Amino acid sequence: MSASPAVEAIVESEYEHGFITEIESDTFLPGLDEGVVRAISARKGEPEFLLEYRLKAFRHWQTLATPRWAHVHYPEIDYQAISYFSAPKSKDGPKSLDEIDPALRETYNKLGIPIEEQMALSGIAVDAVFDSVSVATTFRTKLAEAGVIFCAISEAVHDYPDLIKQHLGSVVPHTDNFYAALNAAVFSDGTFVYVPKGVRCPMELSTYFRINARNTGQFERTLIVAEAGSHVSYLEGCTAPMRDENQLHAAVVELIAMDDAEIKYSTVQNWYPGDAQGRGGIYNFVTKRGDCRGARSKISWTQVETGSAITWKYPSCLLRGDDSVGEFYSVAVTKGRQQADTGTKMIHLGRNTRSTIVSKGISAGEGQQTYRGLVRIAAKAQGARNHTQCDSLLIGDRCGAHTFPYIEVKNPSAQMEHEATTSKISDDQLFYCRSRGLTTEDSVSMIVNGFCKQVFNQLPMEFAVEAQKLLSISLEGAVG
Amino acid sequence: MNATPGNGFAPWLADDGPAADTGLAWLDSRRAQARAQVRDQGIPTNKQEAWRYTSLTRLLEQGFTPTAKAATPLEPRDLEPLLVPGLEAYRVVLVNGRFVPGLSDLQHLPAGLRVGGLAQILKSDPDALKDRLNGVAGEAQHLFAALNTAGLDDGVVVLLERGAQVERPIELIHLSVGMDEPRVAQPRHVVALEAGAQASLIERYVSLGEALYCTNSVLELSLGRDAVLKHQRIQTESANAFHIAGLYLSLGAGSRYQCVNVGLGASWARTDLNVRFAGEHAECDLQGLYLAGDRQLMDFHLDVDHRLPQCSSRENFKGILYGKGRAVFDGRVYVAKDAQRTDAAMSNRNLLLSEGAEIDTKPQLEINADDVKCSHGTTVGQIEPEQLFYLRSRGISAPLARRMLCLGFAGEILDCLTPEALRDQVAEQVGSRLEQAPID
Repeated sequence: MSASPAVEAIVESEYEHGFITEIESDTFLPGLDEGVVRAISARKGEPEFLLEYRLKAFRHWQTLATPRWAHVHYPEIDYQAISYFSAPKSKDGPKSLDEIDPALRETYNKLGIPIEEQMALSGIAVDAVFDSVSVATTFRTKLAEAGVIFCAISEAVHDYPDLIKQHLGSVVPHTDNFYAALNAAVFSDGTFVYVPKGVRCPMELSTYFRINARNTGQFERTLIVAEAGSHVSYLEGCTAPMRDENQLHAAVVELIAMDDAEIKYSTVQNWYPGDAQGRGGIYNFVTKRGDCRGARSKISWTQVETGSAITWKYPSCLLRGDDSVGEFYSVAVTKGRQQADTGTKMIHLGRNTRSTIVSKGISAGEGQQTYRGLVRIAAKAQGARNHTQCDSLLIGDRCGAHTFPYIEVKNPSAQMEHEATTSKISDDQLFYCRSRGLTTEDSVSMIVNGFCKQVFNQLPMEFAVEAQKLLSISLEGAVG
Repeated sequence: MNATPGNGFAPWLADDGPAADTGLAWLDSRRAQARAQVRDQGIPTNKQEAWRYTSLTRLLEQGFTPTAKAATPLEPRDLEPLLVPGLEAYRVVLVNGRFVPGLSDLQHLPAGLRVGGLAQILKSDPDALKDRLNGVAGEAQHLFAALNTAGLDDGVVVLLERGAQVERPIELIHLSVGMDEPRVAQPRHVVALEAGAQASLIERYVSLGEALYCTNSVLELSLGRDAVLKHQRIQTESANAFHIAGLYLSLGAGSRYQCVNVGLGASWARTDLNVRFAGEHAECDLQGLYLAGDRQLMDFHLDVDHRLPQCSSRENFKGILYGKGRAVFDGRVYVAKDAQRTDAAMSNRNLLLSEGAEIDTKPQLEINADDVKCSHGTTVGQIEPEQLFYLRSRGISAPLARRMLCLGFAGEILDCLTPEALRDQVAEQVGSRLEQAPID
């Protein structure tokens, strides 16, 4: 199928959420050295142990080289040209929504996620991250009643230093990789969730991230701890305003599930993908890992990735507890010049551990899509089970879809299957829908949604709707 | 691991062996280039994707030197126990990497077929090889292909003229005989079928005794338009041997190529199959069966380059692992931009039968065109308890039942072997290996 005018139309379509909110922000000059790390820590009034942690990470980062193995191409990043701290000027911190900067609230409204509405309609507690500092936290009290801690990680450092000290970096150590080390050194803020023993979190927790100030790399750090028998579902979604220079985003997410605990982590990512020439998009280099530490624990990752110029992301599960379960459901869309190298790692260490991987890649225009996954079944992981399914859908003849699975099995009782297919939207499918009176666009949208259904089914309701909408917008007119 | 690049393989390039000038300028420059490549490239580590699961430490510990030019005093009857009973073929025998006319059976070659030793042809008719030698493998950046070129000395040349159809298979026997010290043989083969030619090639790697040696062979194969070749490779090297094989294929328009690989022997075996489509509508079928038992490493790398449209490829590899056996399967199907209507299917299935066995598999698809049919599948599993129960309930002992099921699993690949005499022999070898295997 040749690139139709419709494909070009979508490739040329402007980013819908691209706008910049004028807010006074408090930003460091670009550059990174030990002084900057100390300054970030000082600005946040962090305790000594955290500064030590940052410095250790920074020193380690200096010894590392940028990883080059991913199937993505981009100009060299000058880490000295990035500003490592940006905070909206706060006036003693808002106590309620009324105190929130109107310009900020306007931003959320433009994005179609008015906080009030969300609170009223869906009962979701929103910890909105505007650039690097949390400025709105809702439903805290209600959560507190259940004993759930849901706050900015910078607050948690002061309020719950022992928990932070115990868990921070225990899943993704600062030595893990280049970006994890960078994040550990300069992480700005993020979210901390702690669900005590036996508690089922009364609501879905959600953070909306937004990168705003120019030239500011954002380095969130999320830490979720689910104690024995607890349950929590966390939603992460993001959009970013349009800008010219590439923005680095190197987040770290750590999940810890103890005995019988369950964590469900859902992401909708729609950052600015860059213009038609691929200029100016977000570089999304994220390290996400869940540790099923306890027996019968479960960690489930669901992601819908439609944005960013470059996505480099492998939400993983360490299945340490016996009978623990890891899941990864992903839909990734690349169009224009977007490149995504994403997948998961399932490390089976405990007995009777199970994992499921479902990855759906959609590539249009000149998009490059890579699934890279590792399933490792260790010698002691008796009775481990894995099923992996990777499907790619190609739209247009200039795009690419690649699959790089790694499977390492050392236990003779392991059962693992991997299958991958590549296809395009067939003329027959289109003809079938068209002959029933659907427009080409609706047909494509239907077929693509059908292709992704298995993943969308895993998303919480509100997200599923948003994800479907996002997907149809992303692929409007992609088939002519 | 040796820090100085290329140092570990320096003895392989020793001057007393084949490194001396051949007197052919083009060949000497290619060899010099390869030597430079070996030096520049250094020893691959597990940081390199192609060597991620394959360590060269054991190979480097041996300190191999090239086999001497001296002929090995073997009689045709020494060869007899190694032949396939009932197989009628044009036979080419190499002993420790060197073509031995006295053991070969190249009488009555049909018109259009030329078979001979590489060294011999380089002397008598070098022009026949000028474009072919390194013509297909030249692009490769593979360390062992470069080592082979650098140490290039002897091998076999098979040339089929346009339209020649050879009924009888051509059998290539690589016989290794133990020497007083560990030796490396680096045979280089050139096989070319001109347009419309048809043939069947059987490559067998055998040894006398359980000697420690290394074979590093490279086979360059090119198929002209509409040529058809069935290629069967049976590797049953000695249990202490190191086996490295690189196949570089160029498939012309409308050609059909089938390769059946059976890997049973050697303690450390690495095979690279590189397929490049040189014309549209070509078909490539790669089948493989590997067994890895105690301390064995069986490593297969496939690189299928669909650089042109309308070609199809099948990759189907099956492995049985027991004892402390390890296998690596690294398959890559690459579909270039505009290689529309490519049809590629890769499959790798493994039976893991005991504690300590390990499989690392990496079936990769790299697709840059949309109108394609590509898929891959991998499984790792065990013998189904239900199947075992079924056989046992019919009075079959557990070990026999397991063996039957394993042979059934392997049967799909074994059935690709022709003629029957070859199939039967290989099936028997697989069966006897399974019999000795400590399967629990």
